[in-house]
Amino acid sequence: MNIVVCIKQILDPEVPARDFRIDSERREAARGSANLVTNIFCENALETALQFRERAGGRITVLSFGSESAEDSLRKALAMKADAAALVINDGHPHPDPFAVARALAAAIRKIGDFDLILVGRESGDWGAGQTGALLAEELGVPCVNFVDHIDSDSDGLRLKRQTDAGWEIFAAKPPVVVTITNDEHNVPRVPKTRDVMMSYRQTLTKWTLDDLDTDAASIRAANSYYEIVDLLIPVKETQCEFIEGDSLESRVENLARRIQEVTDAL
Amino acid sequence: MNDSQATREVFWNITQVWAMYALLVPTLVIAGFGFYRRVRVWKRGLPLDRTDRPIERIRKLITHALAQRRTTRDTSAGIFHTLIYTGFIILTLATTVVFIHQDFGLPIMRGKFYLYFQSFLVDVFGALTIVGILMAAFRRSIQRPKKLVYTDEAAMILAVIFLIAVTGFLVEGWRIAATSDPWGHWSPFGYLIARASGPLMSDETLKQSHAAVWWTHAVLVFGFIAWAPYTKMAHVAFSPFNIYTASLAPVGASLRHIDFDKAETLGVNSLAAFTWKDLADFDACTECGRCTNFCPANTVGKSLSPRDIILDLQLFMRNSERGIQNGNSALRTPHSAFNSPIIGTVEATSPDALWACTTCGACMEACPVFIEQMPKIVDMRRFLVMEEADFPDTMQEAVTSIESRGHPFRGTSLGRMDWAEGLNVQTIDQADDAEVLLWVGCGGALVERNTRVTRATAQLLEKAGVSFAVLGREEKCTGDPARRIGNEFLFQNLAKENSDKLNRHGVKKIITACPHCFNTFRNEYPQFGGNFEVYHHSQYLARLVDEGKLKPEKKSEKKVTFHDPCYLGRHNDEYDAPRQLVKIASRSNPIEMKQSREQSFCCGGGGGMSFIEEPPDKRVNGERARQILETDAERVAVGCPFCMTMLEDGINARKGERDVRVMDVAELLWESVSADVRG
Repeated sequence: MNIVVCIKQILDPEVPARDFRIDSERREAARGSANLVTNIFCENALETALQFRERAGGRITVLSFGSESAEDSLRKALAMKADAAALVINDGHPHPDPFAVARALAAAIRKIGDFDLILVGRESGDWGAGQTGALLAEELGVPCVNFVDHIDSDSDGLRLKRQTDAGWEIFAAKPPVVVTITNDEHNVPRVPKTRDVMMSYRQTLTKWTLDDLDTDAASIRAANSYYEIVDLLIPVKETQCEFIEGDSLESRVENLARRIQEVTDAL
Repeated sequence: MNDSQATREVFWNITQVWAMYALLVPTLVIAGFGFYRRVRVWKRGLPLDRTDRPIERIRKLITHALAQRRTTRDTSAGIFHTLIYTGFIILTLATTVVFIHQDFGLPIMRGKFYLYFQSFLVDVFGALTIVGILMAAFRRSIQRPKKLVYTDEAAMILAVIFLIAVTGFLVEGWRIAATSDPWGHWSPFGYLIARASGPLMSDETLKQSHAAVWWTHAVLVFGFIAWAPYTKMAHVAFSPFNIYTASLAPVGASLRHIDFDKAETLGVNSLAAFTWKDLADFDACTECGRCTNFCPANTVGKSLSPRDIILDLQLFMRNSERGIQNGNSALRTPHSAFNSPIIGTVEATSPDALWACTTCGACMEACPVFIEQMPKIVDMRRFLVMEEADFPDTMQEAVTSIESRGHPFRGTSLGRMDWAEGLNVQTIDQADDAEVLLWVGCGGALVERNTRVTRATAQLLEKAGVSFAVLGREEKCTGDPARRIGNEFLFQNLAKENSDKLNRHGVKKIITACPHCFNTFRNEYPQFGGNFEVYHHSQYLARLVDEGKLKPEKKSEKKVTFHDPCYLGRHNDEYDAPRQLVKIASRSNPIEMKQSREQSFCCGGGGGMSFIEEPPDKRVNGERARQILETDAERVAVGCPFCMTMLEDGINARKGERDVRVMDVAELLWESVSADVRG
């Protein structure tokens, strides 16, 4: 079974709130002193893939579309024991929209070759659009199952456990299929062994530019086909505290109800 | 009769003396083989140089082997051990005198020397030896302290040396009686036996008994000599050896460097991965139990026992020579047993035990023979972390956070410079001519309570007119928690990165309020090209007061006790500077807790243990808080961000209505020099 796990390197979402700044000129989060980390749901996806490989065998390729620095995320994935890694260097728009990302990834996956299972994180911790998985499935012309936290296989194909508001759904699926992964207590990313971290720096890592791929590189670089960021701001949280007065419990409840009505009407 | 003629006949009443000399040969062969067998195993360990700086080593040997400074710290064990030990030395000297007198034909055993030394002194010390043996037996059979190991071997050793001493007195007494020795009274205890036996025994009985007991004594002594190297009595030779070859570095510099380009395995999970000195340590153990007795984790009921780690590995090592493993007789070759896993395969090295160590170094400080327990624990942790990636989740989080964010405090809402809000603190970019660098540390910047300590320190430096700067956002963890948890790889990367960064900024002097950072800079960074003049803030501030640059204006009425941070005290031998600050800032001298200075009890936060949730009934900080509350102190002075949070938690959980607050020494000093108490 050939498994591809797509991972994204993002600005550390755990940067302290008061250190978080927006570069309104560029309409993006300012780097500041924050570090670059692998998006957590992508790590959950890799962990799910690693556990699946332990049970069912297979070969895992990690793939990223991003800047040169994304190599760190791929090396870490290799340290966690992915079999191969490929980086498509993004030399175009620094924040490509999900559609552009999906097209770049799809082209890279086709270049990698046969695939059975594509795993992506359910959304990224920076922009949080949550669309890359579904768009990627469209691009590749294969089905997509979202919000999966566990993958098994049996003689009929794959069994995907999907989180829903009401509980879980078990999907039977025949590869090839794209699956977006959400977190669960069982797919907490493992800590790599130091020996494997050291080895990961000696492993080969394939690097492609968009021009190496069979796709419309120019439109991916432009990355404005889908949506545009018009403005970006940090929401300002305002709290007001108001005491509801009244002579009796009944009157206080009545006043409270009236006040709620007024406030909601005003919104 | 003239005293100058005083002597005695050496082999009086003994025939076939050749038999004794003949017995000497197998005795020495067996004993020699016992020692050789031990040394042979050590030679299988990895190389390590422990013969440098011979003068210092000899000095250490005199203080701790000859004068037994550490052994005598424990009063009861100290007394009996001194009695037996000096008895052994005196009696061995006496035997040597006999040997020179008889076999070398140098008649030295005569006259005053014979009377004063060979008769009187030897007789008295023989008796004191018996007193020591009886004390030891009393302790072992009636008092039964928990720290001892109760083996048949230990009891046998006491019985045998008791018999040797008693038969010695009988031989002496009966010889005096039978020969009517004119100088007999110079041996008071032998003389007593002579006087008591005289009326009861005929001359013939005396002679026969004397000969029989003489041979019994000889056989016992030779048997003991032959047997000793196979028992813990080997410490007679191994302890001095171990003290001579002990580490001369401070405790804070005792972790082994790993060369990642060459290391075959990372960390230790077999005897083969230890150095020869580690293996020698296992054999040097005298089973006194002090390490475990002083171990804070063990004190609060955790499974860690440094004594058992050493003894279990000693047994493992001895069994491995016979191809035995785990106490079963599944035979393996000595080679494979020597290379087989040790973590979790002997009881004491279970991961639970290894993950309870705070690396406080109390075990090493307590050990009379300078066994290095703590570095071995870290060696095994390294294996778990680097080869297996198998360690507690919350420690993993801390390590991952250091890796990706440069600090271990995941989820902190503070930034590196938030503490300096409203102060005129410059970063090194703004003030590249600053004389000293104030290293804030992750705790000092990112843990709310400790930011106040950092503020106090910075304000004091400012008030004293010190030209200082901070690294600000460029600052990253020194790597101490990573190293103690066992991720040496991460530590070395940080050490190189930080050393380069500090060198790039031209930093020469560093002040830090964190003893862990202090220790790492002082003892560990030089290996990575980071050579700085490093001060704990208490040292630097005390100097500023001495120089008159800080003028304490008022003294607090509160009673203060000082809690020694392990990484400042035991690891780096600085006990006085922080106490000096307490004295400056308060009316009275600091109250000393029962366990302070070298024997201070850890707060529970070192060695990455702050990142572990301890079971509520087994918290090291709870025990230390109890010890603190035993005093009537109203302020607990600390000098470490980890101690601060651990002790605040511990004290707040126990203090009830009492007004007890934990404060850093810098905060106390700031209260004393500033008009504005709140800073």
